[in-house]
Amino acid sequence: MDLARLVWRNLGRRKLRTTLTMASLVVAFFLLCTLRSLVTTLQSGADAASASRLIVQSAVSLFVDLPQSYQSKIATVEGIEHMSKWQWFGGYYQEPRNRFAQFAVDPEETLTIYPEMQVIDGSVEDFYANRRGVLIGEGLVEQFGWKVGDTVPILPELFPHPDGVGVAWEFQVAAVYRPTQRNFDAKMFMFHWDYFEDTVKAGSGEAPGVGTYILKLAQGVEPTSVMASVDALFENGPQRVQATSESEFQKQFVTMFGNVPFFVSTIGGGVLIAILLAVINTMLMAGREQTHDIGIMKALGFSDGDVVRVLAQQSLLICVLGGALGIGLAKLAEPGIADAVGAMFGGYEVKRGTMLFGAALTVALGVFAGFAPAWRAARLQTVDALASKD
Amino acid sequence: MKLVPITYNLRSLLVRRGPTILTVLGIAATVATVAGVLALQQGFRSLYAETGRSDLAVILRPGATSEGVSAFTREGAVRIQKSTAEFEDGPDGQPLASLECFLAVRRYRVDGGETNVPLRGVQQATFALRGDELRVIEGRNFVQGADEVIVGRSITDRIRDCHVGDVLSINVTPFKVVGIFECDGPFESEIWGDFDRMLAALERFGPNRVLAKLRPGADVAALDARLREGRETPATAATERAYLSGQTEVLSAILIFLGGFLGLVMGIAAVFTATNTMLSAIAARTYEIGILSATGFRPFPIFVSFLFESLLLGLLGGVLGALLVLPLNGLETGTTNFQTFTEVAFGFRITPTVIATAILFSLALGAIGGTLPAWRAARMKPTEALRRQ
Amino acid sequence: MTARLNARSTDPHAPPAAARGLANQTNPMGQGIDLQRVTKTYSRGGETLRVLDELDLAMEAGHFYALMGPSGSGKTTLLNLIGALDSPDSGHVVVGGEDISRLGRGELADWRAANVGFVFQGFNLIPVLSALENVSLPLALTPLSRSQRRERAEYALELVGLADRMSHRPRQLSGGQEQRCAIARAIVTDPAFLLADEPTGDLDRESADQVLELLRRLNSDLGKTILMVTHDPHAAESAQRVVQLDKGRLLGVTDRAEAAH
Repeated sequence: MDLARLVWRNLGRRKLRTTLTMASLVVAFFLLCTLRSLVTTLQSGADAASASRLIVQSAVSLFVDLPQSYQSKIATVEGIEHMSKWQWFGGYYQEPRNRFAQFAVDPEETLTIYPEMQVIDGSVEDFYANRRGVLIGEGLVEQFGWKVGDTVPILPELFPHPDGVGVAWEFQVAAVYRPTQRNFDAKMFMFHWDYFEDTVKAGSGEAPGVGTYILKLAQGVEPTSVMASVDALFENGPQRVQATSESEFQKQFVTMFGNVPFFVSTIGGGVLIAILLAVINTMLMAGREQTHDIGIMKALGFSDGDVVRVLAQQSLLICVLGGALGIGLAKLAEPGIADAVGAMFGGYEVKRGTMLFGAALTVALGVFAGFAPAWRAARLQTVDALASKD
Repeated sequence: MKLVPITYNLRSLLVRRGPTILTVLGIAATVATVAGVLALQQGFRSLYAETGRSDLAVILRPGATSEGVSAFTREGAVRIQKSTAEFEDGPDGQPLASLECFLAVRRYRVDGGETNVPLRGVQQATFALRGDELRVIEGRNFVQGADEVIVGRSITDRIRDCHVGDVLSINVTPFKVVGIFECDGPFESEIWGDFDRMLAALERFGPNRVLAKLRPGADVAALDARLREGRETPATAATERAYLSGQTEVLSAILIFLGGFLGLVMGIAAVFTATNTMLSAIAARTYEIGILSATGFRPFPIFVSFLFESLLLGLLGGVLGALLVLPLNGLETGTTNFQTFTEVAFGFRITPTVIATAILFSLALGAIGGTLPAWRAARMKPTEALRRQ
Repeated sequence: MTARLNARSTDPHAPPAAARGLANQTNPMGQGIDLQRVTKTYSRGGETLRVLDELDLAMEAGHFYALMGPSGSGKTTLLNLIGALDSPDSGHVVVGGEDISRLGRGELADWRAANVGFVFQGFNLIPVLSALENVSLPLALTPLSRSQRRERAEYALELVGLADRMSHRPRQLSGGQEQRCAIARAIVTDPAFLLADEPTGDLDRESADQVLELLRRLNSDLGKTILMVTHDPHAAESAQRVVQLDKGRLLGVTDRAEAAH
């Protein structure tokens, strides 16, 4: 007869109550892990950043383009090895909810700048040779079932097709890449700058601006000095620019979420308080029911510490079991949630850190919730406990 | 049929203080969380949907879902401004219509980090259109043609360089902040300046939209249809009210989804807690139930009695939860409106809808949580109940 | 092992209780119970109740005492003091040579575990545990191995005649069986003292007689010092000596053997 068995039997004493409490814990920890994962996902974009890449963007607004003439001026700054124009295309496939990142890029430069893209289907040469060709991430292949050779129509929102409103741009899948690094977007859609520019010109007669210039620095070059030099080039206009490291560039999208991470944390706090109260409630009820047993144990010569352990372990066991199930469920639901929130939280992932954090929380919760009944049990007078009717 | 006296339930909740308080607090935490999210959604919605005017027309480029992605050539916009029959004339005989340019510009928060703040260039007609809606509460309005701006009240303390006397650089042009304005609507998060000076500073050439006062009884749908057909400058028209409520869809949907999702998930946990509490309440009162039963109370009144007790628990939690979120009312916060990619500041609003939802939600939690235990109590055989002490 | 068990079950009255460790070897004769000027008061509803009033009482080791008296005479309080469930306001309670009125809370628990076994009117078995688990519960406080604990608990249950009820839960036992199970639990750690509070109070006559017979045997065969609170004269007949209490004072101690002669 170990006390462990008594702990276990006591949990089985009110099966419905134990089940309901555990179910609450499962639900709460599922929610906590999912909420926290949303926040970490939001913040992890910057993790994939490389220190040797710089982004040049307008210092005025995210929505302002830079002139194409800037390219040759930026190229004069020493230490820049490669450079590509990028423009956000901002269209969708068939329906507005099918949004992903589409960019007009300089193909060869881009693939040199981003070695994280490993072509796994089609070929780099086909992509370079095909004017309408597009390089897509394998995430898009999974989502839409596209394959090499398919023609993909994209409906524009920012760059109307010269043939009229509501006409789709058509691209041909030339190559598929797989990110070699976690957190690198697997759902990008990249096509030829030349095709983009010619088509836009055919409509408006004007060459499109450049959203961002992506720079790759030569080995050993100090990024801050390049940034300063690029910024200085256009200090007096016509458009001031802001050269940033790749991670800073990503972070601006994170900060745009403003107080969202804070809201999410607050909500998480609410969930935690609610579940804490629920578990304390259960444990107090359990403790009260076991008052008489506690009296018996004390009469038999068990110490206050033994009694505390029996109660605290029940609390711990409920919390750890329920919590672990909840955390597991959050991990299991990862692909489903990633699909549901993918548009805003690309690369949704329940990180190891989140699961460890959840695990630590279950233990803390168990200890905390077990404290009240255990404290009460320890202080009970044996005679009173034996006289208890419960 | 004889009902069990309510005092019986009240006394029981009072006697079993510990579980009662914990359950009520648990339900309150759940209700407060859900109500908080809902209050956010209400604040956001009221900011847009309830402030838009139906006597103003917003003219955009076809296909543009918001003014940020709309663009006109200056000539085209002026043509619409000057020659649309549905626009009302001002006292000077000119149409009450204004060209506006709009850009979300990079700004720095006072507490660090970048954000996008809407910058709006307006012609003087805008002020005639807005009338009392917009009030300069500090300093003065900007002078036409000058490099001056006025700043919305809700961002002055949140964004750098936004107090009267500060100098705010737009691209390479310094603008002086000369006033702070107040406005019932999303404009309080914006920076306003002279239309032509803004275009010049931003190196742009045309407006994003035309805003005009409609003649009484003007047919917006017909105007929209006619503008869409326009050969040289196709355009769309909508009332400002319709336009603004369209701007809230995404964030509003996110918040409603979040509120619903949280309500469901946390609600499940809260229901379980209520069930547990009621089960233990009933276990502790088995003997009493036996007496009630032996006294001649039928199962149904016993069921009703315990369900009522559970509803009471829920209601107490709901009221407490509503009280907990009440201080949030009016508290301002900011987040990005994903439709315009600009930061908007808005307050939590505890509307009657929020309170009613919170209370109904808490009653639902109590009802669902109480059903099983109440049913168990009602089913108990008096002899058994009396035997077990 | 199996052979030994079998051998024992064929002959329940076979000797080796001492060999099994259930005979009282720890406490030499003469180390009985000695109460000196013990006072205990309770306050109920603002009123102070003097339950025991400067009580002096000595009881010899190895004897079977019955403690009698009307309700409120302080019987149970006295039992609780001797069993270290409660502490006196003043005076000394010396049990088995140890002045337990001087011990702290934790020391009292250890002392109880080593020296006394309790039998209650309401049996006080833990409902979620089987008979065997209930009996082996106190052994969790000893350094015995798991198999040793099991063996001892099984033997204690055999001794009280519940060998075939080991895996039953208390609710599945009759009142008499529950009480015998509780007695098995009380003796499983081989305490010198057995304290019983109205052990037959909730039992029918037949079950009560079985329990009393069991207590007598524990006294005579295993040398346990037994103190039994009862208000039933029939039950008291099982004891060798009867202690009479009234209003917290000692009325007298009668030796039944002497009284009979």
